[in-house]
Amino acid sequence: MRRIGNAFLAIVLIVCAAAAIRTGAGAEPEKTLLTVYEGPKTMRSSATAAVSVNGFDLFVYDVMVNHEHIWNADTQPSSTPMTYFDFSGTARIEVRMPGLEQEVESAEVLPGSAGIIPEVKDGTVRFSVSQPGQYTVVFNGNVNKALHIFANPPEEDIPDPEDPNVYFIGPGEWVMDAIVLHDNETLYISGGAVLHSIISVPNARNVRIRGRGIIDGSDFPAWNQPGSYARVPISLDHSRDVTVEDVIVANSNCWNVNSYSCRNVTMNNVKVISGRQNGDGFTFQSCTDHTVTGCFARTWDDSLVLKNYSGSTKGITFRNCQIWTDLAQSMEIGYETDKGLTLDPEISEVLFEDITVLYNFHKPVISIHNSDDAFVHDITYRNIVVENAFMQGDNGNNKELIEMTLQNSSWSTVKDEFGSIDNVLIDGLTVLNTADGKIPRSRFAGHDEEHRITNVTLQNVTILGTPITSLKDMKLSADDYCDGITVR
Amino acid sequence: MKLKFCIALLAAMILILPSAAWAETADSDDTIVTIVRTPEQEHAERPPCFPDPSDNYIRLPDTENIAQGKPVQASAHNDVYVSRNLNDGKVETYWESKGFPAEMTVDLEGVHTVSSAAFCLNPSAIWEPRTQEITLLVSTDGENYTEISPAAVYEFDAEKGNRIRIDFEPAEAAFFRAVITSNSAYPAHSGGAQVAEICVY
Repeated sequence: MRRIGNAFLAIVLIVCAAAAIRTGAGAEPEKTLLTVYEGPKTMRSSATAAVSVNGFDLFVYDVMVNHEHIWNADTQPSSTPMTYFDFSGTARIEVRMPGLEQEVESAEVLPGSAGIIPEVKDGTVRFSVSQPGQYTVVFNGNVNKALHIFANPPEEDIPDPEDPNVYFIGPGEWVMDAIVLHDNETLYISGGAVLHSIISVPNARNVRIRGRGIIDGSDFPAWNQPGSYARVPISLDHSRDVTVEDVIVANSNCWNVNSYSCRNVTMNNVKVISGRQNGDGFTFQSCTDHTVTGCFARTWDDSLVLKNYSGSTKGITFRNCQIWTDLAQSMEIGYETDKGLTLDPEISEVLFEDITVLYNFHKPVISIHNSDDAFVHDITYRNIVVENAFMQGDNGNNKELIEMTLQNSSWSTVKDEFGSIDNVLIDGLTVLNTADGKIPRSRFAGHDEEHRITNVTLQNVTILGTPITSLKDMKLSADDYCDGITVR
Repeated sequence: MKLKFCIALLAAMILILPSAAWAETADSDDTIVTIVRTPEQEHAERPPCFPDPSDNYIRLPDTENIAQGKPVQASAHNDVYVSRNLNDGKVETYWESKGFPAEMTVDLEGVHTVSSAAFCLNPSAIWEPRTQEITLLVSTDGENYTEISPAAVYEFDAEKGNRIRIDFEPAEAAFFRAVITSNSAYPAHSGGAQVAEICVY
């Protein structure tokens, strides 16, 4: 009996010790909280990349991207690996790249501002992150098969699946032609879910789209191919009070997160990766009061873009976002600024703040192409970091760092009237790297005496480590229809 | 002896099993992990929170659609929405006319006795409900047409499959013509009449 009692005591002690180890009672520092998501049983993890966090394997998705840095209506995307998890504490990330032809000998973790120096040993990349965020790993100095890791914060306030106003999509692979959301409805797409569908919010109020899962368009041929059409993954249309959070949008057959004539829209931690025709990232037309924070856009067309299709644009903020622009512009206003032929169209009170451009391979990083007759004014770019300004342009054209124009284009609706650009502030622009090691050119071009670009101030500009304090040093050309262009 | 073995086994289960999941690195006991599992699936499925609406779809005749793939002529189209989309068997593609009245005529390649027609749009929920006014006519020679169904307004609703069915007195037809004179989606969401499939039975 005593032996049995001793054994029982031993078991209790062991259980308590094990429980203490597992829960971290009395341990310093606090344990990392980690959530990893199995992939759908119908899919296989990428053969290109194998990723683990704190020893737990992640499911890695291959998503479409495109390394063709010039428009091609029949382009064929390639793929790159992407994965995600949630955590607080410290995430020790380990990456192997069996899909690369060459063993990994070096690696870089972006954004550089994170200050992460990975260890590379025997083809394995190791590094730790302590802050949730979006991280990109580039291998052997080549962007091919760059790994995108979305390290989310722990998820809170997951909606109740029993709530009659909630559409709750759990983990797994799901397909549905389209989801239309109405007033007061929430669509939740769980981590571990891959949803082949599109989400439309027409004429609705108080709508939420959220969850850590993936909205996938790979079932659909590119929108411009015979028999196909645009299947916009997230389309807000004449709606207000809409929130979009946390989801990943991948493999769209056209543009990605679209808002048309909407008001009071908030987007946070939304990740977009696209590689097909007209794959714009966050594209808003004639919208007011939109705030986009903590989002990621790797796109094969404009990454962040504002236009006027039917009325004016006002009060748009992009803050703390990362951009990778494989085609077109990174932060574009235009070209269409009055497609709806409205009276006195404007685009105003726009803020791009704390934006990191990981790569731009094609056209200007900052651009206002007022290609119709709008009054574009009160536009601010603050703390913009361009890690790799590799604009190759189109046959030598449109490769500027900054471009502002009042000129017709193939996207113009108003051919015989022109607008103006006034009061633009670029405060804090840092370019870390260019393709040729030289300062890229910038170009401002008004139209005539009455249609001018005025009052544009650039300050706190540093390119390739050199503070820029003059138009000449900036390599900025401004034609006779520009006034008050200041670099200081 | 058995008791000692059981204690050792229990201790191993308690200590080793959790650490086996953390065993990739030496200091792996600093993580509390939640692994979100996915269900057993053999293919992508419709999300359970969205019941399949097809039970509510308007039923079409079980007989052969004799219009599919036959020569078709139609009024001028908008953009890429060409007339061959009218009877290509795909509801994802559609014909859209330039304004009204919009007319389409199918050559049935021989005289048939017809008694039903259907007009389909894409059943996707992104197609907002709309109505179209439709008149039906038939001809045996391609020149003289007889009205078999007078102009009437029909409702297209994705909840019902975005399709309508028109039954009429049986008639001999070598050519089947429909004339659409209104579309409630015009002009905000269409440039004229819209038909993804015209079906004749």
